[in-house]
Amino acid sequence: MTAIVESVDLKRHYPMGHSMVRALDGVSFTIQAGEFVGLLGTSGSGKSTLLNLIAGLDRPTSGTLKIFDQQLDQMSREALSQHRRKNVGMIFQSFNLIPTMTAFENVTLPMMFSGVPRPERERRGVELFESVGLRDRQLHRPAELSGGEQQRVAIARALANSPAVLLADEPTGNLDSMTAREILEILKQLNEREGKTILWVTHDTEMASKYIQRSIRLRDGKIADNGISSSSPSGGIA
Amino acid sequence: MIFPDVFQLSLRNLREAKLRTSLTTLGVSIGIASLVGMVSLGVGLQELTVGQFKKSGLFDTITVFSAGQGFGRNARARGARRNSTASTNDPARPEKPPEPLDDKAIEKIQALPNVKEVYPNLRMPVEVKYENFSEFVTAVGVPLSSRGEGVFQKITYGSFLKNETEEACMLSLDFVHNMTSEDPKNLVGKEITLSYATAADLAGAVMGGSLGQMTIQRTEKKYSIVGIVEREPGPNFGGGFFSSIMVPLKKIQEAGFQDFTNPQAFLRGLSNKPSYSAVTVKVKHLQDTEDVEKKVKDLGFNAFSINDALQGAKKAFIILDILLGLVGSIALAVASLGIVNTMVMSILERTREIGVMKAIGAGDGDIRKIFFVEASLIGVLGGAIGVVLGWTVDKIINFGANIYIQRQGGFPAQMFFTPWWLVAGGIGFSILVSLIAGSYPASRAARVDPIKALRHD
Ligand SMILES: Nc1ncnc2c1ncn2[C@@H]1O[C@H](COP(=O)(O)OP(=O)(O)OP(=O)(O)O)[C@@H](O)[C@H]1O
Ligand SMILES: [Mg+2]
Repeated sequence: MTAIVESVDLKRHYPMGHSMVRALDGVSFTIQAGEFVGLLGTSGSGKSTLLNLIAGLDRPTSGTLKIFDQQLDQMSREALSQHRRKNVGMIFQSFNLIPTMTAFENVTLPMMFSGVPRPERERRGVELFESVGLRDRQLHRPAELSGGEQQRVAIARALANSPAVLLADEPTGNLDSMTAREILEILKQLNEREGKTILWVTHDTEMASKYIQRSIRLRDGKIADNGISSSSPSGGIA
Repeated sequence: MIFPDVFQLSLRNLREAKLRTSLTTLGVSIGIASLVGMVSLGVGLQELTVGQFKKSGLFDTITVFSAGQGFGRNARARGARRNSTASTNDPARPEKPPEPLDDKAIEKIQALPNVKEVYPNLRMPVEVKYENFSEFVTAVGVPLSSRGEGVFQKITYGSFLKNETEEACMLSLDFVHNMTSEDPKNLVGKEITLSYATAADLAGAVMGGSLGQMTIQRTEKKYSIVGIVEREPGPNFGGGFFSSIMVPLKKIQEAGFQDFTNPQAFLRGLSNKPSYSAVTVKVKHLQDTEDVEKKVKDLGFNAFSINDALQGAKKAFIILDILLGLVGSIALAVASLGIVNTMVMSILERTREIGVMKAIGAGDGDIRKIFFVEASLIGVLGGAIGVVLGWTVDKIINFGANIYIQRQGGFPAQMFFTPWWLVAGGIGFSILVSLIAGSYPASRAARVDPIKALRHD
């Protein structure tokens, strides 16, 4: 197995007046290629902070963070945006689709940023809609779609530039349990069939145990548990 | 990100806020319209004035005087220059006598490059007799080459002089009205009698008094009227040849006429060769005027061309244009604040969207470009509409003003003129202003922190 994300003594502190909020306070871990990892922890434990660092949306206060042997903490802003374009795909709790664009435009937007020509974008867009099972919703605006449908569109968008890593921050937080399971099935299939490495932030330990191979548990910005909690040990080694 | 995509996203943003976009664009249009309108007025007035100069047809003409005289600034400036060199360099040096403006001088000037022709300006006092009418006027010698130029662009009745040898003349319409109550039309072809004094050899002297070695002799000749000329209103520098009566230049030269109006020249003329008060130089190409004028001055003469007068006028018009442009720019300055306002509003509204775009891979530069193009689209559109608007308003004002002017008994005129460079400049300036106005919002959009933008739901 090859390490795809490697973090050593990662810290992210926010100065608040005279004190310091230690959102992440010395986090070290490794994620292997093809793993489906659950990022667990109570509210405020630093899960989103960690995800944003891996996504290259934020910079650590100290420590090192490597993705594909590239050191994110030393990258320029432009290199970070390139990292977001190529290496990672983000999925959010509130979907974050652009309301004025159709589903299809939302999905093909990341390819605009990476300079893919229009015909290629459209071909790939159709393919992506098929892969999330939403062929007949391409021209709808987000407001005309159900939560589950919106999240499928968001997943398709995250996959647009074929990143190796998917970062999902409570992707099922706004969905009922039935729909949540459908979304998680899609993620699981992406992990198993396409070998995507997935980092999934969730509160729901019970649900997580059904899908993930391993969990990283945060507590007050530190790693509390980095063990294997696996009920589906089959995936990952692609 | 490739440009067509940036363009597409910018256009989409503008379409999403149609009302706001149209209002901002309208603001820019009004700004550009006022700028274009004002500058058009400046250019129009300039064209109107310069056009009068140009109509005179004497743009390619330089009038040369002997260095002792001449008019206006040239003579004075020259005198001042000479005085200053004399006082600084060689206070004891006596002043050189001015170069005489005689046939030798004409030859010298003729030899200068780019000179088409040189001829003396000759005027001669004559007594005009027609039926019971009799009056002393100044006859002007007209070279045949001035056919169709200046005041002779249009001969109201009859035609221009046909050749140098026939005893023919043209009269001014005013003089004709003075002379007779006949219809000027019927006067063409009729004859008038001119009496004038000529210099004659001692031997040939029959009547008149003798003056030095010269004898003044009275001559009387019949001249047929070939044309009647009307001077147009407005400043007319082409009036150089315009007079009550105009005869072929050759005729005055043949009369051996000495310039009585210029005592200096007259006295010189008595002692040796004839000398002229002024000489007209025509250049081959319009653009040579300035150069030839300088060369003539270097020969030691005073020279004047309409260019000189025009340079002063042009300077005044540049100042007028700048002032009008500044007034016109006020509206544009206000409009540019409108662009800033619209863009900042749009960024505030779309902060989350910008955050999302960054999260899915947009770079700072991509975001900046999107907003920059958005601002410049407002600029292009506003500029184009503004130019058309300004042009239309100009036409309407001009139309209205002309009705008023005509009612007051004036001549209608084109007061606004919008040259192509103003059209291009107006749109270009609009884009420039939009880009400047858009630069702050665009860099503000580029700096949006995606984490903050995505946090608040
Ligand atoms: N910009 C910031 N300034 C100050 N403190 C911050 C900032 N961002 C996050 N924090 C703090 O860092 C800590 C971790 O926040 P984070 O959003 O990572 O938590 P989380 O584990 O994602 O919580 P949740 O499950 O509620 O989403 C919190 O205490 C939060 O208040
Ligand atoms: Mg969170």
